[in-house]
Amino acid sequence: MKRFSSIISRLYAFIYLRGFKIWASYKTQVILNILSWIIPIFTYYFVGTSFGQGFVSYIGVRNYTAFIVIGLAFQGYVSSVITTISGRMRSEQLFGTIEYYMLSPTGVFGMMIYSAVWGFILNTINTVAIVSIGICLGVSFLGANLIGAFIIIVELLVSTLGLSMIAGGIIMVVKQGNPISFFFTTVTALLSGTVFPVRVLPYYVRLISYAIPLTPALNGLRLALLKGASFHALYSYFIILLLFDLVLVPLGFLIYKIGFDCARKKGTLSEY
Amino acid sequence: MEITTSNISKTFKVRKKTINALYNVSIEVPKRSVAALVGPNGAGKTTLIKILSTLMLPTSGTAYVHGYDIIREAKNVRKSIGLATSGERLFYYRLSGYENLVFFASLYGLPLQEAKRKSIELLRMVGLSDFINIPYMKYSLGMQRRLALARALINDPPVLLLDEPTLGIDPISAREFRRMIKMLSRDKTVFFTSHYMGEIDELSDIVFFIKNGKIILKGSVEELKERVGKVIEVIVPERHINKTITRFVVNLRYGKAYLRIPKRCIDFIGPIKNNMEIIGESEPSLEDAYVILVGGQN
Repeated sequence: MKRFSSIISRLYAFIYLRGFKIWASYKTQVILNILSWIIPIFTYYFVGTSFGQGFVSYIGVRNYTAFIVIGLAFQGYVSSVITTISGRMRSEQLFGTIEYYMLSPTGVFGMMIYSAVWGFILNTINTVAIVSIGICLGVSFLGANLIGAFIIIVELLVSTLGLSMIAGGIIMVVKQGNPISFFFTTVTALLSGTVFPVRVLPYYVRLISYAIPLTPALNGLRLALLKGASFHALYSYFIILLLFDLVLVPLGFLIYKIGFDCARKKGTLSEY
Repeated sequence: MEITTSNISKTFKVRKKTINALYNVSIEVPKRSVAALVGPNGAGKTTLIKILSTLMLPTSGTAYVHGYDIIREAKNVRKSIGLATSGERLFYYRLSGYENLVFFASLYGLPLQEAKRKSIELLRMVGLSDFINIPYMKYSLGMQRRLALARALINDPPVLLLDEPTLGIDPISAREFRRMIKMLSRDKTVFFTSHYMGEIDELSDIVFFIKNGKIILKGSVEELKERVGKVIEVIVPERHINKTITRFVVNLRYGKAYLRIPKRCIDFIGPIKNNMEIIGESEPSLEDAYVILVGGQN
């Protein structure tokens, strides 16, 4: 019971105090955040409609609006969770509070996990907004396999957690200029099939996209949500994402621990 | 002993240069005592505090806090300590003092209601009850220090590590702070660093002087003063001040220097003896002991 109470207390602290209250105190930033979630969908919607159905069929997409709604809604989970964690790590170093995380039973690792929850919540709002706009623009989710989609989302988030730990470990040492954050926020939008199918990419570039968990996740989510694909049809996506999880989570732990021990040895934990 | 270190050393490598921040530091701090670590800037005070609080690993040596090894039992050490460092970057600027404490209390696993109750109690204890809902960014330096002390007490630790707790705060706030430390030392062990001799004199049961990473002197305040002996207060023309006696200069004004020289050193200060005007003799202060026994940074 006490353990449950302390989890609730930490969720309140990280989601409401550290997350929402501070985020909402920058009112202009809140408005800009919301606009940055919404505007891209209209941008791509008009790109698709202006090029016409013939063009999008050529690249293998029947309904471009539906394609990008899924892409933008769920790519945000990856980029925002990783950005939140590595950004949070850096901001705690700037605030000077990271040492106090380490001294507490929650620890720096706990800080990363609970911060991921805030990133997840923020992006869920983003996702709901994008999906709602998609529905207004004519996207249909009738017959969607919601449970299948849920499984894929959970597996995607677990792999994202592994990547976040890698990013967190790197930030502890390099302090700024995190290549993992850069790659998974900027490059994945290009390579993982967010706004166009990966089949249009050159072969060697496509190989890189297959190594990103978001690529199979988006393919699986499109099948589950737009076509109502069965569990049998989604089975290969479940397995691929599970393999990503089994590699990235232990790797994330390892790199995080190495970064943390290095910072502690050098005495640079709170440096920025 | 509540805090024990044995030959703790810490070496940093910065751009091919090796810096010995601490060298074979061995100290013992009894339970429920107040111990001060005093030294010039860059002497290694903050480094030692960070090692004792497990934020930094030593290069060699061992240390125990509240009976726990700082390396092998780091988790237990962290449960036993409260840390307050100096600096402005320690809290969330846009949250109030109360919200900050509730946040940090939750990190220690306190259920929400208890975290809120504890935060109000601590804010009352450190005299910040009237500023509960004021954002931290509006706090004065003295208020920030008090909030830092409140946070150090969240888990009611038996050991408090305070790094320059009254740095930069006004005399009244500093006095209030010292009163709190005295009260806390009744059932906690306090280990703090400071430059303020008056504060150390008032609070400390034991003092460690550190210079260039080494403990060069330790003892109670009375023991350290006894080592200096009586002090002669003199005035000499400023032009007669040389390297030998610079450390004894208290202030300079209108071309004259006011010095406090240990009585037993009078015969060794050179020809200046012939140009000095003796004002009187007094008991040594802790500052005298520091200046005479530790000297400057080099």
